[in-house]
Amino acid sequence: MVRLYVEDWSPEYGAPFESDPDTLPGEVVVDTAVEVRGAWEPLPGRDDGVRRVAFVDGVQRIEARLTLDDPDTENDGGPLPGICAAYAVGASLWDREAGRSTFRDVTVGRVAVFGDAMLPDLPHVPGLDYVVEAAEGRDIPELRARLDRRRGQAEVATVLALLREGWFVVADGRLDDIGPHEAVGYIKSHHQSYLRPPESRIIGALRAGERTPVFLIPGHQFQRYSWYVRLAEIPYGHSWSGIARVEAPEAIGIERARVLADRTAALLPLAAMPLHLDARAPQNLVPIAALERELRRWLGDEGLVRRALRAAIHGAPAGAA
Amino acid sequence: MTDEAMPALQTSERVGRVVGVGHTSSQEFRAVLDEGAHLAVDDLVVVRTEVPGVGTLCTYGVVVESEATYEGAAYESDVHRIAGDYAMGGGLQPAAKVRTARVAVTRVDPEVWVAADPGEEVFRARGVDRDRALYADEMRHPLAVGRGRDGEPVYLDLDFFDGTKGGHMSIAGVSGVATKTTFAFFFVRLLAGHPELLGPSAANTRVLVFNVKGEDLLYLDRPGTEFTDDDAAAWRRLGVEPTPFALATPGLRASTPHATPGVPTVAYWAPLRAHAGDVLMPDVSGRADGVAVFTWTPREFIDEGLLEFVFTDATDARNQISFVEERVRAQLKRLAVDVLGASGAVVLREQNDREGGQRAVHARGPERVIRTLRDLADEIATHLEPEDGAEPDYAWSGRVQGGTVSAFMRRLHAASMDSRLGRLVRDGESHRIDRLAATVSVVAIQNLHDLAQRFVVGALLRETFRDKEESGQRLPLSIMVLDELNKYAPREGQSPLKEMLVDIAQRGRSLGVLMIGAQQSASRVAPDVLENASIRVTGRLDAAESERAEYGWMLPSTKARARLLKPGTMVLGQPAVPVPIVLNFPRVPWATRPDEVRREADADPFRGL
Repeated sequence: MVRLYVEDWSPEYGAPFESDPDTLPGEVVVDTAVEVRGAWEPLPGRDDGVRRVAFVDGVQRIEARLTLDDPDTENDGGPLPGICAAYAVGASLWDREAGRSTFRDVTVGRVAVFGDAMLPDLPHVPGLDYVVEAAEGRDIPELRARLDRRRGQAEVATVLALLREGWFVVADGRLDDIGPHEAVGYIKSHHQSYLRPPESRIIGALRAGERTPVFLIPGHQFQRYSWYVRLAEIPYGHSWSGIARVEAPEAIGIERARVLADRTAALLPLAAMPLHLDARAPQNLVPIAALERELRRWLGDEGLVRRALRAAIHGAPAGAA
Repeated sequence: MTDEAMPALQTSERVGRVVGVGHTSSQEFRAVLDEGAHLAVDDLVVVRTEVPGVGTLCTYGVVVESEATYEGAAYESDVHRIAGDYAMGGGLQPAAKVRTARVAVTRVDPEVWVAADPGEEVFRARGVDRDRALYADEMRHPLAVGRGRDGEPVYLDLDFFDGTKGGHMSIAGVSGVATKTTFAFFFVRLLAGHPELLGPSAANTRVLVFNVKGEDLLYLDRPGTEFTDDDAAAWRRLGVEPTPFALATPGLRASTPHATPGVPTVAYWAPLRAHAGDVLMPDVSGRADGVAVFTWTPREFIDEGLLEFVFTDATDARNQISFVEERVRAQLKRLAVDVLGASGAVVLREQNDREGGQRAVHARGPERVIRTLRDLADEIATHLEPEDGAEPDYAWSGRVQGGTVSAFMRRLHAASMDSRLGRLVRDGESHRIDRLAATVSVVAIQNLHDLAQRFVVGALLRETFRDKEESGQRLPLSIMVLDELNKYAPREGQSPLKEMLVDIAQRGRSLGVLMIGAQQSASRVAPDVLENASIRVTGRLDAAESERAEYGWMLPSTKARARLLKPGTMVLGQPAVPVPIVLNFPRVPWATRPDEVRREADADPFRGL
C-alpha cells in the first residue's frame, strides 16, 4: 500500500542550487548603443519626484521533505521524493510625501510537490492549506522549480496589482515578463558582467547616485533594458562593490527607460542599507530587508509547521512530536 | 447632560488585547492597544477570560506603565529610516508603531488566580466594572476622597480608618507642597459631610489638631481666595457642599451665628501670651478673635500627672530622671490639697494633717501656696535639694545618685520659666481645652518652646486617650491630627510621648482613638506607629525617601512617579485595594495660609442678590 513519510533530516539539505532558466551574462551580447552612441561616461541620477514607490519581494521555505513509498508498485524508481513548502509575497509601500512606509498585499501560499507526475492525497493539515502539485522528474531541484514558479507568479500578480494603482514598482530580482509596464527589477549580485571593455571600465568610475547608460539585453520573448547604478562608495571596496543592476521591460521604449534609469540612480542610494547593519549592505535595500523579515514572520514558526505536518501524516497527536 | 452625569451609564469600551509575547501572569499582563485607543497610567481595565471549569473570569487591573515602540526596528538608527526626514530617505523602512500598557492586576473575580488569556480583549473599566476594579462594591462604608485620572470618584473604605477593620492614617510627602495637612482636613471635612457613614454618633466625632508651624490652621473658618468654582463643583461631585468650618470657640460673642447642621465647627486654642498681665491674651498674631486661652491649674497639673510630659527629651529616658519624676509625681498626688480662696492652687500637706479631712484648707504661715509651675518647682526643690545641704528626702528622690537629682531639678527649673512651660500652668479659673466644644479643636502651639509643644501634645493626647478608655465606646470617634509625627514618635530613642503614641497606634483602633499622622519622611517615624496605620497617603516624595521600605506598598512605577506629583495629587494605599491608587482632590474652601484669607467684602455670600 502507498504510504507517506515525513523525513527527519533538514528540509533545506541539498537545496542551494539556483536554477536560472535565463540566459547568463556570458552567453549574450548586449546592445550598448541604445541610449548613448560612442564612448560611455557616468550619468548622474535625477529624482523626478515620483511620489509612490513600491518594493515587491517574496520569500520561500521548504518546510518538510516527504517520501511516498509504495512497495507494491511496478514503478522501480523506489520511494518517491516530495516537498512541502511555503512562500510569502508582499510589498513595502513608500509614500514619499507622507514620509512613511507600510506593508501591504502579503499573500502566503503553501504547496506540496511530488515527482514523477504523481498527485497523491495529502492528509488535511489543520491551519495549513497545501496545494498538491506534480513535477515531471524526481530531482529536488525540479521540485523546487515548481515552488519558484508559484512564488514568481504571486510576485507578478502583486506587481501588476500595484502598477494598476499607479505605484512605481521595484521588484527584487530579475523581472518576469510583465508587458509594457513601468516596473523595474533590482538585482543585487552579479557573478558576471554584461559589459565588456571598453564599456565595463566605466563601472569603476561611477560615483554614488550615478549610473551607466542603458543597454539592451536581448531575449527570445522578453527583452529588457538594463543599467548599473552605484548605491554607495565603499571605503576599501573593489570597483564592483556597491553596484546594483536594474532592468526594465524593453516594451516601454528607450525614452521611458531613460527616465526610470535616472530615477533609480537617484532613489536607490537613499534606500541602501548602512554598511554596518547588514552583511549584504548596501545592496540589500532597507525596505526589502524589512519586507523579507516581515514575510518570514508570516510564514509562521517552522517547528510548529513541521509538528503539525508530522501529526497529520503520521497520525500522531498534534501536541506530541 | 454633562459628562459628569454619565459615568453610571457608561459601559466599558474596548481598547486593545492582552499581549501574548512573553507570559501573562495572575499579577501582571500587558495590553497592546487598538489603533486610535489609548491607555494612560492609572487607567483601570478589565479582561474577561473563559477558564475551563470556572466559567468567565474577570481580571481587573490598573495601568502602571505606558509603552510604545516601532515593531520591526532592529537598530536604534532604524528610527531615522522609519520616521526620518525626506531628504535622508526617511520613511523607507516600514514599521508598525505599537502602543502597549503594563497592567497590574487588582482583582480577579471569582477569586481564581488564573492569568488572563493572551489575545483576550481589554476594556477600559467603567461603571460597574470600574467599581469592581477598585473594590468599591465590597466597601461597606465607601467615602469618595478624590477623583481618579478618569474623573470618577476614588473611594476609601472607612472601615479601615474608623477602627472597624483597621485604623489610623499616615500621610507622607515633602514639605512646602502644603498638601499633607490640607489633605488631612479635606478628609476630616468630607467625613463630617457624610454623617451617614458613621451612624448616629457622627455629629459627635471630635478632631484634635496641633498647629505647629506658622498659623496655617487658624483659618479653617475663613473662606480662601484660591477656591474656584471648579473646586466647588469637584466637592459637590464628592457629595459635600464645600463650606469652611463654622467658628465655635467657647466664650465667643453671642452674635456668632449658630452652627448649621452638617457644617462642622472649629474652636481655636492658644497658650497665654507671656507677660500678658491680668487680661488673658492668646499667643497668636494673625487673628484677633475666636481664639481661647488654655492653661492648666496646678491642681490639674498634679491630678493628671502632667509632670511626666515635662521630661520628654529622648536623653531624659537614658539617665534616670524618669525614676525621680515618677517618685515626685506620686508624692505630689498624695500631698496636694486645695487652698480655700485660691482656686486651682494647692499646698502640700500630709493626709493626717488636714483639719478633719477637708478637701480644701487655709494656707498656714510658712506653707508655700503653689500657684505656678515655678512655685511647684521651688516646693519640690525643698525636698530634693534642701537648703541646709542635707541629703534629699528619699520619699521624693528614691535611691538615685545625687547627680540625677540635680539634673532633674535643673531641668524642672528651666522648664518652669515663662518662656517654656511656665505660662501653661497658673491658678485661677480653669482654662482647660474643651475638646468637645467643636468638631475640630485647633491647638496653636507654634509659638511655644519645643519642650512646651511636646508637653501640650502629650497632655492632650493622654487626656483624649483616657477619656475613651474610660468610656469603653469606640464611637463617637476621636481623631488626632499630628503634623511632624517624627518629632513626637521618632524612630530612635524613648520618651513618654513616643510610648503613648505607640500605645495609641496599637490600641487606639479599638477605642476609636485614631491618628492622622503627617510627616516628611515616614522612615524617620517609629515603625510601631507607622505599621499600625491602615490607610497610607503620599504626596510628592523625595527620590531617596521613596526607595525606603516604608513605601513598599507602592508599586515601582508609582514610586517613580511620586517624585513628580503636583499639589492636589496623592497616592492612596488601603488594605481593601491591593494596589496604590493615584487621586486628585480639589482645593479646600477655607484659607490654608494667612494671605489666602478672603476679605469680608469678597466673602459676602449674598452679594449679587
